[in-house]
Amino acid sequence: MKSPFRPDFPPDAAVLDDHKPLIRSLDRRVLIRGGVSLGALAMLTGCDIKRPEAVEAALLAISRFNDGVQALLFDPNKLAPTYPASMILRPPKFNAYYDVMDVKPVDGATWRLDVSGLVADKRAWTLSDLQALPQTSIVIKHICVEGWSYIGGWTGVPLRLFLERVGADLRAKYVAFKTADDYPSSIDMASALHPQTLLALKYGGDTLADPFGYPMRLRTAVKLGYKNPKWVTAIEVTNKYPGGYWESLGFPWFAGI
Amino acid sequence: MRHVKTETPAVDTSSVHTARRLHPRPVRIMHWVNAVVMLIMITSGWGIYDDDVIIRGFHFSSFWRLGDWAAWSLNWHFAGMWFLVINGLIYLVYGFASGRFREKLLPIRPSEVVQTVIDTLHFKIAHEDITVYNAVQKLLYIIVILAGISQVITGLAIWKPVQFSGLVTLLGGFQTARVLHFAGMAVIVGFLIVHVALALLVPKTLWAMVSGGPRLKLRGRAEEGHAA
Amino acid sequence: MRALPLLFVCGMVTVAAAHAQSATPGGMPPPPGMSLAESAAMRFPQPVRVGDLIGREVLRPVESQDVLGRVRRVVHDRNGQIMVVIDFGGFLGFGSRPIAVPVDAMVLLGQDMEIVAFTPKQLQQFPTFSPSGTTHVPDNKIIKVGLAKPSH
Repeated sequence: MKSPFRPDFPPDAAVLDDHKPLIRSLDRRVLIRGGVSLGALAMLTGCDIKRPEAVEAALLAISRFNDGVQALLFDPNKLAPTYPASMILRPPKFNAYYDVMDVKPVDGATWRLDVSGLVADKRAWTLSDLQALPQTSIVIKHICVEGWSYIGGWTGVPLRLFLERVGADLRAKYVAFKTADDYPSSIDMASALHPQTLLALKYGGDTLADPFGYPMRLRTAVKLGYKNPKWVTAIEVTNKYPGGYWESLGFPWFAGI
Repeated sequence: MRHVKTETPAVDTSSVHTARRLHPRPVRIMHWVNAVVMLIMITSGWGIYDDDVIIRGFHFSSFWRLGDWAAWSLNWHFAGMWFLVINGLIYLVYGFASGRFREKLLPIRPSEVVQTVIDTLHFKIAHEDITVYNAVQKLLYIIVILAGISQVITGLAIWKPVQFSGLVTLLGGFQTARVLHFAGMAVIVGFLIVHVALALLVPKTLWAMVSGGPRLKLRGRAEEGHAA
Repeated sequence: MRALPLLFVCGMVTVAAAHAQSATPGGMPPPPGMSLAESAAMRFPQPVRVGDLIGREVLRPVESQDVLGRVRRVVHDRNGQIMVVIDFGGFLGFGSRPIAVPVDAMVLLGQDMEIVAFTPKQLQQFPTFSPSGTTHVPDNKIIKVGLAKPSH
């Protein structure tokens, strides 16, 4: 079964064949502390002898197959369980691909949401533009791929409503996000249109705090945590597979719950 | 398939055999496929576990993990699951349809279980007739089959907690389903330790799972080969 | 020819510096020379209700998430500093003793807390907590506590 999503492979590890001994000798922890980008790390992990490229390719092929299976299992009418507001964890749990000291707060006054791709209206949105749209609140369980979970409450504009406002082609395959922290992400259109998928502006009734994505983050109840980018700066509707930060490092793309 | 000789000697019933071996080829194939796949699931599962440990203070060192970090443990796990389920389903269908489960795993009498445990503790594990499972064997095989099924069920719940939210509620919630998934793994690993140890202690059982083992005597006949 | 690998890696590091996002593990201790208050301030302290902290498990910022103890209560010490009193050590609740840890040495981690500024060995040297000179902080008080990402 050919998967409709064909992701770009990580950089071709064959490029590094000549340099494997040197690269393998570099201590990974040293690199992490020295701030080497995860792109470089991807190249390093691609060189691991415990994971020859043929095995890796097979695993990734099955992962793409699983994306197709997950798309079939996704019921657009199935709502995630909701909870009373009293159960909202305050503050929520922080996570990113870096620790909290490196969060770079966004200035809400100068922030703009760029819109591009298969949409009719490509004007940028200000925060007050978004705040003027109808808002919905959901209290749902955030589930991280790592295994932990917590109950959180978000308020924001249903993504479906936003996409309709900008005249998006709702038959397109992907909705892609860019963020202020270099964390590209994308979801399938079916999940984007789900009623519990929001462009979230508030947590627990209060404006999103800086570490949690101010001024706007994606919050969808039907995806694992890493599919919910924070500090969103741009939305694109497209039929070209956009991938994502963790997907480039081998994580599954569909990641639906 | 059973080939029963139409002529039976008047006196010596023990020389009447079926052509059927203890472990027919389908069983042997499925057994070894399952062995490899279960090891993949367990060790990749340990890698996933380490990403957010369930027992605080306890994690698996990298030696035991399949997948050098979380993304690859997940990929191994989500690949292996297909082989586990398909092989497992075929095995269950075969086991029921061929009558093998009924024949080899039932009945289990509590008194037999107690006696077998006592014998084992006294190292009476000679196992003359390996074609008949003793009571502890039957119990353990049933337990591990149920544990395998449980792993698939709890695995589905934690894989798709929104799509299968009803199942998650039945299991007591997402975190409880995680714990149950881990507990099922512990049961299977416990079984593996005993199973592999005993197979090595009685090597003809191991060989039987490779070559098929002795031919079975007709049902209801053999009284010799009392299994300890 | 041998310079090539070195050049390549240098190139990658330069590319990385341009990105300027460090991929540090979670819960790193304060850099040497930095005060607890300064390091806590760098962790985007968030308001939390004191009552919601009571009973929380306190973890080591490591992959195995070792449990150091449980939050028993929150107090002001005689200098007005906020201290978290933890039932520290022991096994499954037996043999623990209360110690007072500055809140700036700790972070919130979801439904738990972590101590990032002191190792378990250092914590073992802390004196057993004595309430004299301290003021109890009531459950309804909101205090600010820094954050950390999970440790791996």
